[in-house]
Amino acid sequence: MVRNMTASTTVASHKEIHFKIKRQDGPNSQPYWEEFKMPYAPQHNVISALLYLREHPVNTKGQRVAPVAWESNCMEEVCGACSMLVNGVPRQACAALVDDLAQPIVLEPLTKFPIIRDLAVDRQKMFDALIRVKAWVPLDGSQDVHEPAPRISPADQALRYAFSRCMTCGCCMEACPQYHDRSDFIGPAPLGQVALHNSHPTGGFFKSDRLHALMDPGGIAGCGNAQNCFKVCPKDIPLTHAIGALGRQTTVQWLRDLLIK
Amino acid sequence: MTDTTPGLLDRYQFQLRRLHSLSGIVPIGFFLLFHLLTNSTAFLGAERYDTHVQQIHDLPWLPVIELLFIFLPIAFHGILGVTIAWQGKLNVRQYPYMDNWRYTLQRITAWITLAFVAIHLLHFRFAYWFGEPEYASAAPRFFDFTRQGFLHLWLPAWLWIWIYVVGVAAAAFHFSNGIVTFCITWGIAVGFEARKKLSLVAGALCIVLMLWGFVSLHALTTMTRTAPGAAEVARGNEQRISTPYMARHEAPSAARE
Repeated sequence: MVRNMTASTTVASHKEIHFKIKRQDGPNSQPYWEEFKMPYAPQHNVISALLYLREHPVNTKGQRVAPVAWESNCMEEVCGACSMLVNGVPRQACAALVDDLAQPIVLEPLTKFPIIRDLAVDRQKMFDALIRVKAWVPLDGSQDVHEPAPRISPADQALRYAFSRCMTCGCCMEACPQYHDRSDFIGPAPLGQVALHNSHPTGGFFKSDRLHALMDPGGIAGCGNAQNCFKVCPKDIPLTHAIGALGRQTTVQWLRDLLIK
Repeated sequence: MTDTTPGLLDRYQFQLRRLHSLSGIVPIGFFLLFHLLTNSTAFLGAERYDTHVQQIHDLPWLPVIELLFIFLPIAFHGILGVTIAWQGKLNVRQYPYMDNWRYTLQRITAWITLAFVAIHLLHFRFAYWFGEPEYASAAPRFFDFTRQGFLHLWLPAWLWIWIYVVGVAAAAFHFSNGIVTFCITWGIAVGFEARKKLSLVAGALCIVLMLWGFVSLHALTTMTRTAPGAAEVARGNEQRISTPYMARHEAPSAARE
């Protein structure tokens, strides 16, 4: 879905690759736009093109400037580090093929996270949220627990595998209209991880802790059902399913708290 | 996260949001359906309308019912809704997906409905704050009171009708889409298929509610006692009621049309 939005016309006939990049020298300095042109070569992705520009950091005015800063690791869309807005769409720059993109290719940093420099942002908020909701499976004993491994049905496994593909890349947070600096909403990505770990036989030991974390201010109540999270997710994680399931789990937890506690 | 003590709105955010979602269905949604039902009796003739409205006025403890099941829930839903709408940063231009459009429209129709409810209350329920309209002496002939409110009070009739068309459409959308978000929020509809089916039903309901409201509006603004409703004609009801009041007031309005 993300790809369809940006892959307008194939522009393989271009003689050069034209970038328009939103830059910012430091966390607190003013952003500015800078344009770069580089010779065309087939099969570039945005990161490989940025690598070329790092070797030849000359803007379209002919000035030699500080190379553009960005983050990337895996180059195969599984680590989430190189998330940025490519022609306005949040996605991994390494998986954004230059031949598929309309030019000039506009690169902007994600807008929902603090900027470190240029295209590099600090996604720490997301990792803090994972800690807040205990998005892990507790150790079930370093000694023999006299129990066989928990059994999981193939159907459960399939859904859980989908959730496990989350790479904390931040695209869903970027597209969520409820997640921004004025709101305390935890955002969609951690909700997917709560659904994952709550459904795990051992992870479920923390289920009520996680649900209470989501019933605290800034929890699941912040969701506005815009459902952009699922649409932009590069891994097609069923985040809206997670939100629906957690809506049900928190309803049950709330009634339990009211009637049984 | 923050070291400041959260306010009541924040501390009970989860509970308040759930109740906000619920209050849109019960009692406000049910009241909306009941209100549309009563209004649409105008289509069956002025007498049927008068009878049904009179039945409501004859309910015991009416002011208490009105306060507990209509005014307070609407105030709660409206005030909390404003704080919720304030939290969203609309981005439908950048992400023009159908669901995001519905999210955006839910907020736009919220503002329209809020304004419309205020106008509607001042227009009919609290019109006496601004002095008794001349035709109010017609009460309990509710049909005429309502009709005159559209045709001869403060604004030109065409403007009233447009305000009500927009207001009814906004309320119909907000309620129908609100059923979907209610079902997601409370965890009734979880998966994609469930949501898809629910959205189709809600879409159909939205159209029905709009048409229902428009029919009533049409009946209330165009029908007169001397030109009875379709049902009355079908029944071959020959009875015609003519009063001095009607003689006084109906003639000029007919001339205007």
